[in-house]
Amino acid sequence: MSGDDCDALDRGDSDGQKSDKMFTLKKWNAVAMWSWDVECDTCAICRVQVMDACLRCQGESKKDSYGKQDCVVVWGECNHSFHFCCMSLWVKQNNRCPLCQQEWSIQRMGK
Amino acid sequence: MLKDKGQVTFEDKWPNMRPIVLKLLKQEPVTQIEWQDLFGAVHSVCLWDERGPYKLRDALQQDIMMYIKQAQARVLAQREDQALLKAYIAEWGKFFTQCNYLPTPFRQLENSINNISKVTSSSTSNSQKKNNNNNIEDSLVRKLMLDSWNQSIFMDIKQRLQDSAMKLVQAERNGESFDSQLVIGVRESYVNLCSNPVDKLQIYRDNFEAAYMQATEEFYKLKANEHLLTNGVQSYMKYADQRLKEEEARAHRYLEPGSGSVAALTQCCEKVLIGEHLPTLLAESAPLIKAGETEKLQLMFRLLDRVPEGVTPILRDLEAHIVSAGLADMVASADIITTDSEKYVERLLDLFKTFSSLVKDAFMDDPRFLTARDKAYKCVVNDTTVFKLELPSSALIRGSKGTAPESKCPELLANYCDMLLRKTPLSKRLTSEQIESRLRDVLLVLKYIENKDVFMRYHKAHLTRRLILDSSADSEKEEDMVEWLREVGMPADYVNKLARMFQDIKVSEDLNTQFRGETTRHDAINIKILNAGAWARGSERVTVSLPLELEDYIPEVEEFYKKKHSGRKLQWYHHMSNGTITFANSVGRFDLDVTTFQMAVLFAWNQRPLEKISYENARLATELPDPELRRTLWSLVAFPKLKRQLLCYEPAVQNPKDFAENTTFWVNQEFALIKNGKPQRRGKINLIGRLQLSTERSQLEDNHSIVQLRILRTQEAIIKILKMRKRITNTALQSELVEILKNMFLPSKKMIKEQLEWLIEHKYMRRDDEDINTFIYMA
Repeated sequence: MSGDDCDALDRGDSDGQKSDKMFTLKKWNAVAMWSWDVECDTCAICRVQVMDACLRCQGESKKDSYGKQDCVVVWGECNHSFHFCCMSLWVKQNNRCPLCQQEWSIQRMGK
Repeated sequence: MLKDKGQVTFEDKWPNMRPIVLKLLKQEPVTQIEWQDLFGAVHSVCLWDERGPYKLRDALQQDIMMYIKQAQARVLAQREDQALLKAYIAEWGKFFTQCNYLPTPFRQLENSINNISKVTSSSTSNSQKKNNNNNIEDSLVRKLMLDSWNQSIFMDIKQRLQDSAMKLVQAERNGESFDSQLVIGVRESYVNLCSNPVDKLQIYRDNFEAAYMQATEEFYKLKANEHLLTNGVQSYMKYADQRLKEEEARAHRYLEPGSGSVAALTQCCEKVLIGEHLPTLLAESAPLIKAGETEKLQLMFRLLDRVPEGVTPILRDLEAHIVSAGLADMVASADIITTDSEKYVERLLDLFKTFSSLVKDAFMDDPRFLTARDKAYKCVVNDTTVFKLELPSSALIRGSKGTAPESKCPELLANYCDMLLRKTPLSKRLTSEQIESRLRDVLLVLKYIENKDVFMRYHKAHLTRRLILDSSADSEKEEDMVEWLREVGMPADYVNKLARMFQDIKVSEDLNTQFRGETTRHDAINIKILNAGAWARGSERVTVSLPLELEDYIPEVEEFYKKKHSGRKLQWYHHMSNGTITFANSVGRFDLDVTTFQMAVLFAWNQRPLEKISYENARLATELPDPELRRTLWSLVAFPKLKRQLLCYEPAVQNPKDFAENTTFWVNQEFALIKNGKPQRRGKINLIGRLQLSTERSQLEDNHSIVQLRILRTQEAIIKILKMRKRITNTALQSELVEILKNMFLPSKKMIKEQLEWLIEHKYMRRDDEDINTFIYMA
């Protein structure tokens, strides 16, 4: 398709309209940022932002520095969210959400 | 018969003993029988005559005295100094030998006298000890002999002896030679003469050593002044150095080894030759440092380092020199270095190398001088006279006033780093090794920077641009740099974040490959979906109405991403995204690297290529916020590298702020790249310039946020310290605080005070009731 454009344009700035665009896109490097879709961006258990790895993972991160980022977020039925690592330690002692004291059950996991 | 034997008295025996004793004293030969008789006689006298031992002792003393008197006469007969010394040494030698023989026959005498004293003192342990100590050194007779010598001849002529010996030493100092054995002999007599068992060197020290010192001191007091006056300081330093070495060697020869005399003498020489002329010598140090006279400085350092506090003023001079020379250099080349990071950093490094080699050559890399260099260099690096970074003081945020300018050095350093790591003419010109060594240099300077947090911020921004624009010259070096930053002690959370960015880029590349494999219209788009926590915390997004060509991709990407991940939300950072477009006009076709904002503006003309668009309409078309639109338009009408601009506009203005609502813009149909004065029909140009990472407004707030972060870091550190210490004095707190924060910034006294007040106000801590300079943690 670009071959046609080229010819049309080479003829000059005549009244070329739809296909003879003055500017054509060649490449677009689009940048987006992802973040966990959470209401509160701090993990109430370790007090670190959920976008960062939890404290324990940060401490261990040096060992396997290029391993996949595994410190994901988990949502409970109550819609509260925490680091999955933090929560799995928490439920061993107390199977309730640290924020609302409801019985903890996982609604979904971040991936 | 027995009674007869009992009648043996001292008076009977002595006439027979005396000739033998005299012979012994005079070193005349005695027969074996005589020698043995003497033993026997001493034995009987001590055994049978109650008063015998004492009488015997007294008689012995008398004869020794007599002998000494004769010897003294023989010595004193000598008028001339050397002869006197020679005679004395000879006599002493003879006498001293006898001191080792004569006591032997009188062993019994000693036992008797000791036994008597044992009875009187009735202390058994004491007597036992004495009986065991029967060696020559402690012998009573020997002591008697030595004491007698000491009291008579020695007391009488010691002054003459010393004087003569000192005269000889003096003569040697003036270059005459003589038999050094004479002085050594005298010294030995002094040492051996002492019968004090606790301090064997007492006589030597009180007399000979003292005289030697005094003579030396007097000699150099005179000579030093003389030399200094006639020949000047620099020649004097050589003289003093030479003399000190000489005197040390001489002391080893003439003073008793192992007595500490040599050290004492050296100290004495140092005092006279250096200590007393300290101000005169030191006056020379600053000019020498300035002139870089390393050899002379070396000499000066060697000399002054011998005396206490001699070096401290040189340290001060060096420091002052580095600061003033460094700053003068900076000021002199202010024009170039304020605009050119490369020149600036090179200038700084040159200075550092100059100063370091000065310290090495002149002061042998002495740690004290290295410290002085570091301290002074820090001043140069952090100086604010040439350029400042205006930071709002923390007060501004919390309500009072004032600004604290800081050195712009970290920013320029980060820029330089960027030039080395990005694809630039500089990085292309250099080999990999050269780049590495220059990066190491950057780290070296970084060590001296107080506001490292500023460097970190700029470095991270540059890295973000390089990664997003794929403009790193060498990705391996990029990651090396992160490790080096870790090695020089940059805060771990900061370095980890940088490392995470690399990791994130890799993850994103994989994702991009997958995306391109799954969609149909994929050849024009690359996606980077990055972790907002590592890349963009706090940066503000800008809305823009994308051209349809771009807009179409968005749902597709989001759809794809949702399949891959869950629980995530995406935000588009169009101010970071960019691309390449082809521009075709009557002259030719050109590939333009542009930002997405530039794209949005330019694509507005696709529907109406020849029309003029007003500023107002451009805003309606792109929906860009005012500052971003102005900036984007300005980059298209006045791009510095272009001779013919992409867009034309009227009326002309001086800067983007002056665009009016009705300023009109149109595409330059004559646009072309000019090479060697000729317009080209094809070509590629990068119009992105410096990729914008945040909005105009947030850039203004950038410095603000540096300060804001410092406040938080300071509070955090204070609490950390208090948690550990529970209570702490103000001074201790301040120094611990600096220790914790020094890898980020140097907290000002004022900021510390404000944060303390704030923490007290908010009941994190309190002052001690009794001592307001002590703080107590309140959990």
